[in-house]
Amino acid sequence: MEGLTTMANTQSPDTGIIGIFRHLDTVCTAIEKVRDRPDFAGHEVFSPTSYHEIEHASGFGASPVRAFTLIGALTGTCTGFGLALACDWDWPIVVGGKTAGIASLPAYVVLGFEFTILLGAISTVLGMLVMGRIPNPKRRVLDVRTTDDRFAIFLPGAQLSSPQAQFLRDCGAEEVRNT
Amino acid sequence: MSDDSKLWSKTISDVNSEILVNLENPHPAYYVALALSVSALLVGIVFVALHFTYGLGLWTFRPPVYWEVDITNFVFWVGIGHAGTLISAILFLFRAKWRNTVNRSAEAMTIFAVICALVFPLIHMGRPWHGAIWAVPLPNTNNLWVNFRSPLFWDVMAISTYFTTSLLFWYMGLVPDLASIRDRCKGFKRLIYGIMSFGWRGTAKQWWHYEAGYGFLAALATPLVLSVHSVVSWDFAMSIQPGWHTTIFPPYFVAGAILSGCAMVYNLLLPVRYMFRLEKFILPEHLEACLRLTLLTSTIVFYAYSLEFFVAWYSGNPYEWALFEKRAIGPYSFYFWVMMFCNCIFPLALWSRRVRNNIPVAFVICVLINVGMWFERYNIIVSSLVEDFVPARWGHVQPGLWEIVITLGSFGLFTTFYLVFVKFFPIVSLSEIKLIMPKPLSSKAHGGAHHHG
Repeated sequence: MEGLTTMANTQSPDTGIIGIFRHLDTVCTAIEKVRDRPDFAGHEVFSPTSYHEIEHASGFGASPVRAFTLIGALTGTCTGFGLALACDWDWPIVVGGKTAGIASLPAYVVLGFEFTILLGAISTVLGMLVMGRIPNPKRRVLDVRTTDDRFAIFLPGAQLSSPQAQFLRDCGAEEVRNT
Repeated sequence: MSDDSKLWSKTISDVNSEILVNLENPHPAYYVALALSVSALLVGIVFVALHFTYGLGLWTFRPPVYWEVDITNFVFWVGIGHAGTLISAILFLFRAKWRNTVNRSAEAMTIFAVICALVFPLIHMGRPWHGAIWAVPLPNTNNLWVNFRSPLFWDVMAISTYFTTSLLFWYMGLVPDLASIRDRCKGFKRLIYGIMSFGWRGTAKQWWHYEAGYGFLAALATPLVLSVHSVVSWDFAMSIQPGWHTTIFPPYFVAGAILSGCAMVYNLLLPVRYMFRLEKFILPEHLEACLRLTLLTSTIVFYAYSLEFFVAWYSGNPYEWALFEKRAIGPYSFYFWVMMFCNCIFPLALWSRRVRNNIPVAFVICVLINVGMWFERYNIIVSSLVEDFVPARWGHVQPGLWEIVITLGSFGLFTTFYLVFVKFFPIVSLSEIKLIMPKPLSSKAHGGAHHHG
């Protein structure tokens, strides 16, 4: 893995410096500081779990995943009702005086509902994957501790001797190293 | 927050190391349980092979009861599957913290219970390889479409939607944990877990979209949980059969499903907590909360049973009342009273805090609830079917050897799936338990009150 990355070129999106943080409050303060700095453009923050403090410090608003959910769910509603109505119009099965079409609509609510949930759920997961840019075989894990108990700020393309590295140390990073 | 730091003797740094180490080295009891489960599963497989060879005549049910234990098992397993998505979706929206330690186990239970449920309609077809054609909305040879007004078809849609959504929910929760395992492994294992985790990196942006997606999934799954067993109950309630044709069925079935599901969560969690030494993570408080939910649903079920009887009497419908009389003091009274005692009377002991905290006693009560819920389904289904509108057709059935064997086999299937799952995947959600533990703050933020790790 390491060899491959070196061979590729230095343009790899994973080459740069990474600052490891131990505490949530320290990393949040650092995120707020680097957020708007032009010399930290393209930085990434890593966290072992979904702390809302990090979301707030990064200034994230509402996630676009909600659009995926809404579009998926509405498509599902139309599909469910559409399927039942189309079959009904194609060959009406008259039961209990209920003729084809909207006369039977209450019975199709179940189908409409199930399809709403089904397509809504599938598109939500797709939204999470698409917006999170995974799976992406070109990216690798920068530090295994970030899925355990450490936070990290990664800056692509920077050098260990750069002022940005010193800035991360000043923010309270317990370790800054090359990736 | 101050309560949290007293509650936990572990920090977030212990989560991955301790839970994942125990995953590799379970208590020997695990292998005993696995051997028993696989044996039960094999017995079930032998039965299914014989069933496919000789046909449905092997079963002991007779007309007018065309399916007895297999539909009972179907409804029972779908019910068990309810607690999983309830705990992960509804309790997520309510921000109930105890859910975070038990949700993975409950979600896995849901998936496997629904698989067990699906087995029964499939094998009941006799020749399930034709089922692929019968079960999808395709026109038949007369160019007629599926009857979308049939509750049986709603049921197919409800169960398959529930299975898919629960699977997505469960797997989505697993993704960050699979990445945690990947980062502790080397070589081939690392590759496998890496693929399974979709290359999750845990960036703030990924967590942001993940949290949003998880919340939307929970919001979608919440009405789903309440709808699935309602739809299952319509299989019965939409008919005109006395004992089935009641409007109370949907909420009553949902409460019963959650009751059996919570009891099963408790029954599964306790052995696994012991085998994988998770006592420091799955705290007694979390187990007790599960029992409180069991108690709540038990009282709802008690109310529903009573109301059913009241309405049968108050409606003045002689057929309805005759059926309820038969259930209580007729040939099926054994099933009825087992159901009453197991689902309504024994769980009353859970009002006592001492009983809730007495793990062996609570475990036995939960086992009895599951027995009671199985009997409830049998009672509802069989007592209504044996005496229908044509007295000449009346007959009586009892579960025979084959029925007992296939029920045992379905339990074998369920526990085998579950035990294999807990060996390779963390049964406590690593990323979620980190969220409810004390936050890793610097001593500066705490003012020296709390020293991390």
